Amino acid sequence: MAETKADKNEKVSCLDTLAKNPLYVGLAIGILAALVQVLLISAGGPEAYGFCVACHTRDVVNVAVNDIAGTKLAVAAISQNAILPVLTVIGVLIGAFISARYYREFRAKTGKAVSYVWYLAGGIFFMIFALFMGGCPYRLGLRIGYGDVVALIGVIAIIAGVLAGIKIATALAEREG
Amino acid sequence: MVAAGWLSKDVAIIAVPIVTLILGLIIGWLGQRSGFCSIGGFRDFFMFKHTRLLFGYLALIVGAFIGYLVFWLITPSAFTNFFWLLHNGLMPVPGAPAGLTVAAYVILAVIGGIAVGLIGVLLGGCPLRQCVMTSEGNLKSLWFVIGMCVGAVVYTMWISGWGVALLKAAGIA
Repeated sequence: MAETKADKNEKVSCLDTLAKNPLYVGLAIGILAALVQVLLISAGGPEAYGFCVACHTRDVVNVAVNDIAGTKLAVAAISQNAILPVLTVIGVLIGAFISARYYREFRAKTGKAVSYVWYLAGGIFFMIFALFMGGCPYRLGLRIGYGDVVALIGVIAIIAGVLAGIKIATALAEREG
Repeated sequence: MVAAGWLSKDVAIIAVPIVTLILGLIIGWLGQRSGFCSIGGFRDFFMFKHTRLLFGYLALIVGAFIGYLVFWLITPSAFTNFFWLLHNGLMPVPGAPAGLTVAAYVILAVIGGIAVGLIGVLLGGCPLRQCVMTSEGNLKSLWFVIGMCVGAVVYTMWISGWGVALLKAAGIA
């Protein structure tokens, strides 16, 4: 991320310097996910489930749909047993919003109507394929730490997909430019 | 096979939303400050040889392993299946019925991984990054998050059942 001049002039706290480095953020997320497993595994549910954007969104949405429409969509045991499902994604949205407001980085960015359709379709397919794989890249990371080899294969497949995506993106950029 | 953790079952059931909400607040704050992104890490490494975000993702794996190891030494009961492969074989894919063959899980992981990497690069970020960008005021990412919610329902209502049926018909599962 490029730092603006306003950022450099601000008084920088030690904690914020750590929070700006992905290295420490990654370590913190991994250890916090393990701590969450210690605290919450008695509620049931899969292991290595501390943090996953795809699965936790799935749990929240399915519990909401089950409550509203009376369906019986599959939900992880930890969300099914508890009084409310895992709220990690809601927390991420609120936490990032508070942080963006606090550091004055909140800016409304709009796009063309066509791009909204692309992002909507991208979100749908992303979620479907992420659930095929058994979680978003973060849960794959947690599963690798937990000793699951399939997650490692999944990450290698992600790298292959990224390489293909880079080729497509550069081809599109050359055609337009 | 669910093991007991530090909290009793009744307390844990109440603590699930509270603890995960706090975890989410912390991760959202950290993610907004650092621009943390897994797919962006791979992309930056292969396009520009920038390792900043990539090391962040590798640190997540290392941090998870260290965390699991340390807490496993303190409370082994919460981590009975640590070193998962040694105890249980392969971890079931959530949403799909347990007990598919190894080949089925590997095929699912490869198909899903390639698609996730492709979509992530073309739309500029992994799901965490999209959530954080939504909170920073990006309307395109908001539509991505809405799409993720729709995709969750689509997957659990139709695709997981069909996918397993297809795999079984092909003789893989």
